[in-house]
Amino acid sequence: MNLEESVQMQARFIERRRRTRLSDFPWWILAVGLLAAAVAVLISTDPDFNQAFVIIRAGLGVTVTTSLAAFALALVLGLIAGLGLISANPVYRNAATIYVEIVRGIPMLVLIFFIALVMIPGAVGGINVLGELLVSRGMTAAGTPLAGLDISQVDMNFRAVLALAVTYGAFLAEVFRAGIQSVPGGQMEAARAQGMTYRQAMRFVILPQAVRNILPALGNDFISMIKDSSLVSVLAVRDITQIARLYAGRSFKFEEAFTILAVMYLTITLVLSIVMKRFEQRMRRHEHA
Amino acid sequence: MNTHESMIRMLDVHKTFGSLKAVNGVSLTVRRGQVFVIIGPSGSGKSTLLRCINFLEVPDSGQVWIDGRRVEAEPRRLNAVRANIGMVFQQFNLYPHLTVLENITLAQRIVRRVPGEQAKQTALRQLERVGIAEKAGAYPAQLSGGQQQRVAIARALAQDPDVMLFDEPTSALDPEMIKEVLDVMLSLARTGITMVVVTHEMGFARAAADVVVFMDQGQILEQAPPGQFFARPQHDRTRQFLSQILTR
Ligand SMILES: Nc1ncnc2c1ncn2[C@@H]1O[C@H](COP(=O)(O)OP(=O)(O)OP(=O)(O)O)[C@@H](O)[C@H]1O
Ligand SMILES: [Mg+2]
Repeated sequence: MNLEESVQMQARFIERRRRTRLSDFPWWILAVGLLAAAVAVLISTDPDFNQAFVIIRAGLGVTVTTSLAAFALALVLGLIAGLGLISANPVYRNAATIYVEIVRGIPMLVLIFFIALVMIPGAVGGINVLGELLVSRGMTAAGTPLAGLDISQVDMNFRAVLALAVTYGAFLAEVFRAGIQSVPGGQMEAARAQGMTYRQAMRFVILPQAVRNILPALGNDFISMIKDSSLVSVLAVRDITQIARLYAGRSFKFEEAFTILAVMYLTITLVLSIVMKRFEQRMRRHEHA
Repeated sequence: MNTHESMIRMLDVHKTFGSLKAVNGVSLTVRRGQVFVIIGPSGSGKSTLLRCINFLEVPDSGQVWIDGRRVEAEPRRLNAVRANIGMVFQQFNLYPHLTVLENITLAQRIVRRVPGEQAKQTALRQLERVGIAEKAGAYPAQLSGGQQQRVAIARALAQDPDVMLFDEPTSALDPEMIKEVLDVMLSLARTGITMVVVTHEMGFARAAADVVVFMDQGQILEQAPPGQFFARPQHDRTRQFLSQILTR
């Protein structure tokens, strides 16, 4: 190989490397970033966009706290139901299956109406009956507050959290079940052979490994939860969607209101998704197993 | 402490999976301090039999006695029995999310409620005994197969068990690591702990066993001290199996 050939080869090599680097670059992030920048410019220069932004921003706190509270509760429900799905006890197993299947078979919007406007009032009615029963048995101190509980005292934000949590609890049950079943059977055997109870083995051996395996899935579900939290606007909860709807209806500035709304969700979910990817990469680097 | 002379007794134990008779009427006695070696072809029910001792498989019928006490499926008593039996698996089954030290202290702390510092001292002593004290802070995935299996042995020993069960402890190991595990098992055998060992390592059986049994199709065909067992096997099936395994 003469000098010229080798120089040519080197040039081709460099060109190829440059091209792969260009194709590896996350262009989509750049595009989205430009879009966000354009909207930011609009907000700071256009008074209509600015007004829409300032008004809708007031709902961010509700959107975030509703999502966080509902997700925390959904994690608890999902863990309990997930353990139920794999339980050897047919009562637990069937109860968990009924819960998961019912939730899966109903559109989320309908479910939110049903839980907030049928189930929770029904539960309050049940608590009233229980309270009256206690009062009639002479337990006035415990009974009176229960008997006097009024459904109008149960605020919609709380009902919204419960509705989202019940819905997502059923999704997360499947995630937990899959996570637990991804841990090799030998782990449970080794733990039981050492004399651990089923609960101890779950808590100290199986779940720590399962949770590590499902962290990415949980992250994705949290992002979905933020998006689906927009559905609770149908309960008149003043989250960003509800405020945007009200504002648009009042001012007829649909373009401004819904552009801002869409970009707000997009920003939250994209930032979370990037944070989670980072976190995953870090975990993988520190992986022991 | 109970000092029953027979540490393990099994009486007519049966275990079927569907229509498959994995263990088909086994009775045996392992005396205190004996090393009891089980050999036999693949699928003959060796693992199932071993797992019937600590009820990882609950027998369909028959009785199991440990140190003069009947083993039953009642959870609380079963957990107490298991805590007294160390088990070592072919695939090690270390807890990958815990360090070597934590692997060995976990059951001590939550099953026997040993205080943390004491559990740690016990763990370090057992690690010393299997020759890898320097790996206490490592995670299982950072160890070789042989080292992992020695940790698994240390973990079982830290339960301070009366009985150790081994299910093909060297079968998943590269040849150069088999010896380090067998050496640990040999020195353990000399301490007088009762051991039941499923293995294809005939060298270990010759050197350490008090009794060798041959299993085939869920039954014990033959049982003898190793000298006699290897020199004058009684059954055709045993001779056939030995000739296969010794020429391999
Ligand atoms: N949990 C189970 N469910 C169904 N069949 C099983 C189960 N465990 C074992 N068996 C079957 O029971 C028979 C005995 O299995 P076992 O594992 O006890 O044999 P083994 O002698 O230990 O074999 P190997 O040398 O391959 O480990 C095999 O045919 C096996 O497929
Ligand atoms: Mg086996």
